[in-house]
Amino acid sequence: MSPQRAHNEVERETGHGTDLWRVIAAPIIWALHFLFCYVFVAVYCEKAGRTADLFEARLWVMGATALALGAIFWLTLRIWRVRARSVTDDDFEFEHNTPEERHRFLSHAALMLCVLSAVAVLYIVIPALYLSTCR
Amino acid sequence: MTDKAEEEQQLGKVWDSPRGWAALSDVNNSVIGKWYITASFAFMLFAGVLALIMRTQLAVPDNGLVSAQTYNQLFTLHGTVMMFLFAVPIFEAVAILILPAMLGARDLPFPRLSAFGFWCFVIGGIFVCGSIFFDAAPDAGWFMYPPLSTEQSGIGADIWLLGLSFIEVASIAAAVELIVGVLKCRAPGMHINLTPLYGWYVLIVGAMILFAFPPLIAGDYLFELERAFDWPFFDVSRGGDPLLWQHLFWIFGHPEVYIIFLPAIALLAMIIPTFAQRPIAGYSWIVLSAIGTGFLSFGLWVHHMFTTGLPAISLGFFSAASEAVAIPTGIQLFVFIATVMLGNVVRTVPMLFCLGALANFLVGGLTGVMVAVAPFDFQVHDTYFIVAHLHYTLIGGMVFPLLAGVQYYYPFATGKMLSRKAGIWSFWLLFVGFNVTFLPMHLTGLMGMPRRVFTYGADRDWGLLNMVSTVGAFIFAAGFLLFLWDCVRSKRHEPDAPRNAWNAGTLEWAGKVPADQWGLRSIPQINSRYPLWDDKNLLDTIDQGRGLLADAAEGRRETLVTSVLDAEPEQVLRVGTPSWLPAMAAFGLGGVFIFATWKLWWLTLASGIFFLAVVLYWLWTGTAEIPEKPSKDIGDGRRLPLYVAGPRSTGWWAMFITMTGDLTAYLGVLFGYFFLWTVHENFPPAGVSGPGWQWPLVAAILAIATWGAMVAARLSNAAGRVGLARALIIASTIGNVFTALALMAGPWTSGLDPTSHSYPAIVWALVVWVVSHLLAGMIMQLYCLARSIFGRMTPAHDADLWNVTLYWHFIGFSALLTALVIGGFPLLQ
Amino acid sequence: MGQAGRAIDDRYWRLAFVAITAVSLGACSSQQSALHPAGEQARDVADLFWFMTISGALVWCIVMGTAIYAVLGKKRPRSERFADRFVLIGGVVFPTVGLAALLVYGLSMLPSWTETEAPDLRIHVVAEQFWWRMAYEGADGVRIDTANELHLPLNATAEFVLTSTDVIHSFWIPSLGGKMDAIPGRTNVLRLTSSKAGVYRGVCAEFCGPSHALMAFPVVVHEADDFASWLEQQRRPAAASTGAGAEAFRAAGCGACHTVRGVSEAGSVGPDLTHFGSRRTLGAGTLPLTAAHLADWLVAPEHIKPGVRMPSFATLPDAERDAIVQFLLELK
Repeated sequence: MSPQRAHNEVERETGHGTDLWRVIAAPIIWALHFLFCYVFVAVYCEKAGRTADLFEARLWVMGATALALGAIFWLTLRIWRVRARSVTDDDFEFEHNTPEERHRFLSHAALMLCVLSAVAVLYIVIPALYLSTCR
Repeated sequence: MTDKAEEEQQLGKVWDSPRGWAALSDVNNSVIGKWYITASFAFMLFAGVLALIMRTQLAVPDNGLVSAQTYNQLFTLHGTVMMFLFAVPIFEAVAILILPAMLGARDLPFPRLSAFGFWCFVIGGIFVCGSIFFDAAPDAGWFMYPPLSTEQSGIGADIWLLGLSFIEVASIAAAVELIVGVLKCRAPGMHINLTPLYGWYVLIVGAMILFAFPPLIAGDYLFELERAFDWPFFDVSRGGDPLLWQHLFWIFGHPEVYIIFLPAIALLAMIIPTFAQRPIAGYSWIVLSAIGTGFLSFGLWVHHMFTTGLPAISLGFFSAASEAVAIPTGIQLFVFIATVMLGNVVRTVPMLFCLGALANFLVGGLTGVMVAVAPFDFQVHDTYFIVAHLHYTLIGGMVFPLLAGVQYYYPFATGKMLSRKAGIWSFWLLFVGFNVTFLPMHLTGLMGMPRRVFTYGADRDWGLLNMVSTVGAFIFAAGFLLFLWDCVRSKRHEPDAPRNAWNAGTLEWAGKVPADQWGLRSIPQINSRYPLWDDKNLLDTIDQGRGLLADAAEGRRETLVTSVLDAEPEQVLRVGTPSWLPAMAAFGLGGVFIFATWKLWWLTLASGIFFLAVVLYWLWTGTAEIPEKPSKDIGDGRRLPLYVAGPRSTGWWAMFITMTGDLTAYLGVLFGYFFLWTVHENFPPAGVSGPGWQWPLVAAILAIATWGAMVAARLSNAAGRVGLARALIIASTIGNVFTALALMAGPWTSGLDPTSHSYPAIVWALVVWVVSHLLAGMIMQLYCLARSIFGRMTPAHDADLWNVTLYWHFIGFSALLTALVIGGFPLLQ
Repeated sequence: MGQAGRAIDDRYWRLAFVAITAVSLGACSSQQSALHPAGEQARDVADLFWFMTISGALVWCIVMGTAIYAVLGKKRPRSERFADRFVLIGGVVFPTVGLAALLVYGLSMLPSWTETEAPDLRIHVVAEQFWWRMAYEGADGVRIDTANELHLPLNATAEFVLTSTDVIHSFWIPSLGGKMDAIPGRTNVLRLTSSKAGVYRGVCAEFCGPSHALMAFPVVVHEADDFASWLEQQRRPAAASTGAGAEAFRAAGCGACHTVRGVSEAGSVGPDLTHFGSRRTLGAGTLPLTAAHLADWLVAPEHIKPGVRMPSFATLPDAERDAIVQFLLELK
């Protein structure tokens, strides 16, 4: 397929801003959230003793979770605007050879990573829901 | 002779491999790749033999075939060699061999670096493996937990530490090479969404190596300081904590499993579309899940420490992440199955291995989901259940895909086909042998058999299960021997494989049979993911030299450098030619590590100086060379520059990537500081004063000044004010020396004795780390000065200064951070 | 899970258990098996194991069946959309939901007790290369020292306070529950609740040196009364404090390392031997305790247990060694 034909098929310019950094933004948020939860609770329990109640630490974990989910949601909104299927076939294959298609592909990958990261963040808080001491 | 024929002859002359003894000085990726693969398989066979000895020992209860001491060396070396000398290097080896062809590059951007990595790997590997013949092998397990490993009197632990640190250098070198390769050396038009999936995986795994290996280097650094100089990081009686090592080791150790697994899955992602005769069904799914797996794999390390008594909630976090990682891992398998469903399957031996991989890996994945649940792990941790689990993931997830890859890429690498019959036989022997060995082990473990036991009593009733496993292990070994025999037997009388033997769609199959040293005749424009399927004229374009860079008129080895996202051609890169320098440098560095094992400090120093001299000569003569003309015609009416500096150049990226890894290692040491803080009531401990805030403050100010001078030097050089630039470099060098002195002055003047307690030890460890980097920075500064004076660095050709400035961004940052932490943190408490 | 649910579940799992073990386990020993639970924690984990194994086997069969069908089966034209949906449902939705459920179920077994829930019994365990120092904390706070053999009351929760003096070990009684590491400089706490009387076996699960394989201990779960009388007997000093055996014990210097309360109380390097004769095994679970094994042990401990700190007493005259053997076996 020639570049000209493909160009005609672009119904809607979606921009070109998505690069590799934006793709990994959501997983980075997951990583920061995970590190925060782990480090905060580890230091809390080490300093407060193993008999300590976790209530305060759990509040912090929940706060961090709200923040992380909010940030991922914000990222999702920004990428959602691209809302792009392939230039060519209206699917998620992104096989075309233009910067436009590359941008759509990376946006799509970034969007799905937002979903995965949100799921992973939610998984992380499961133990904080019912463990109440530093044991 | 026509122009085209002349071009071809010239290409042949330029890319020709040296012959005779000089063949060992070769650096071309297709040669180094094959050496690398051969060496990795040789180490694997060695470790496999160790495993067979262990299986024989365990075949019957109360066996006396080997002593406890020997057995401990066997399993330590088996794990170490399989992990560090086979599983990780084979990824680098395969990638070095196939990646450039897949991306349409003539070679990787730093061929000599590949050669250096290969020689480091071989020297380090022989050193580590050889130790068992002198009864001096490490015997504290491949995980080397202190205090067992720190208190041992022999040199086993030192061999492990230094040998592997050396091999890690090779891994990081390969990571640098491969990341830059994928990002900057793709054929024109190969947008990031058209890059073969293998390239994506290599990119992700390369990045993972940068964050996973350095913590182990930090751990090794602390460990060796304890062993050689008695700095008590892990010694409880002087304020250390053995768990610090476990954290550093497993922050490396768990991502490492995925560093092994993902490149093997990457091979499946190439093989399956070929034999389904259609594009992969879900390219974006694969990219998403590979990235997701890469990230999540860093949140799993504590699941190796579930029974160390950490708070239940910490275990819960890691249980959760360990379950979460199963999602992206599973997606990849589903995409493969979907691809097969949509396609018309060609039943071949590689496909058989793919199915075997799926069957086995799935078992490992499912038991992985089981052991990720912490309470279940409390029971099976350190039992044969885990032995079974890890072999299912590693053999199912890595060895079977790798063998599928060997079957698949054999015609690409050698121009001959493997025997279908031998392939099918070896597959069934391997598959049956593997399952007979490891499936019963799940039960053995649940019946209470711990790992790493050299024998067991007859009254345990583990005899039958163990006998079955042992028989299976020998069947497995037979399968491996058959496979390897088929690979190495002479095929001189067999016909060459046809070009593109499997009718694949990706670019690596565009090469002729037998293959040309220079890769493709000319570099084509790429418009799709499977160019060989989609562009019927592609082979003609390539062969008739109508693509880009069809000649080597200046007699230099050249490859194209393109932009990261859209693969726009940016530069013609001149790559290294055969040279003894990489091997010499590897021997020099090897000397440093090997002599240090026996604490022969003078020889260590001499080796270090030799290494430095070789590297400086290598850099001086072989890098950032000012070309005879600014640009070159690459065909199709395009001209590209021959010299590029700064963020668009491969050298800058290499420095950036290396220093990212280095910074991670530094953060590993810094983690040690804060970890030790958490386990102490008072840190600095009562009665010990810290280094004070005055000297660290001075050091911080000097570091900023030195850093600033370096940036100013680059800017003024670029502005044409060479004299000012030189003056600034000299000023920065002097500032550098004083920064180092000021950093050391804090702990020195306050009399911190690193052998007395873990606090002074970790402060000194941070300071020594930064000071040694400042020293290296000083050499770089003087190198730039010399390059400027000798006219090898000019305002227009300033790659050296760009890269050294970049180095300074990292080192200035870590100097500043060190000063803040050692001087400022004690004030906060 | 409610009580009723648990009972039904138990019956279900036991059925599956019997069916599968009948085939695979045969007549195997249950002393050290996580699949023959004799404690609450072990039973929970065994249930969890069977649940996960059966669901895992199902998943394996479905996925492999699909894959093999995809390779060998008749081709039907399918669209990319089908593939997308297949990956979405099979690879994303199903695992996400399934794993979350497993996580909620599995993590509910994590230890989580508050300080008000005191254990019935507290035992201080110090792991050393390659044996176990054990001290029962009496009601009066006095510790009763013993070594290498654990006795527990039935249907009671015991708290093990674990540490180590040399390298990292791990304390594991598969029949009762999960393991916990004994780490120098750290104190870990493990609670186990026995639910079936019998003799079990505990081992060291973390590699700790040459004789890691030979670092074990018998675990005896008694009825509460029997346990009380056993503990009372352990509290008393040694049965025989005089005689030729005791003299030989002192003369050979055994007391430098071993304490036999009432005979020699200076040694603390090796295991306490006050009621050695009442124990089932020798060398921390290495050999059954018999006169012949004990004599061998005194002659060549390194041969039986590589890396052991116990020196050889091969140079001792046979008569004296026999006297020591007799003396030790009489320390009931």
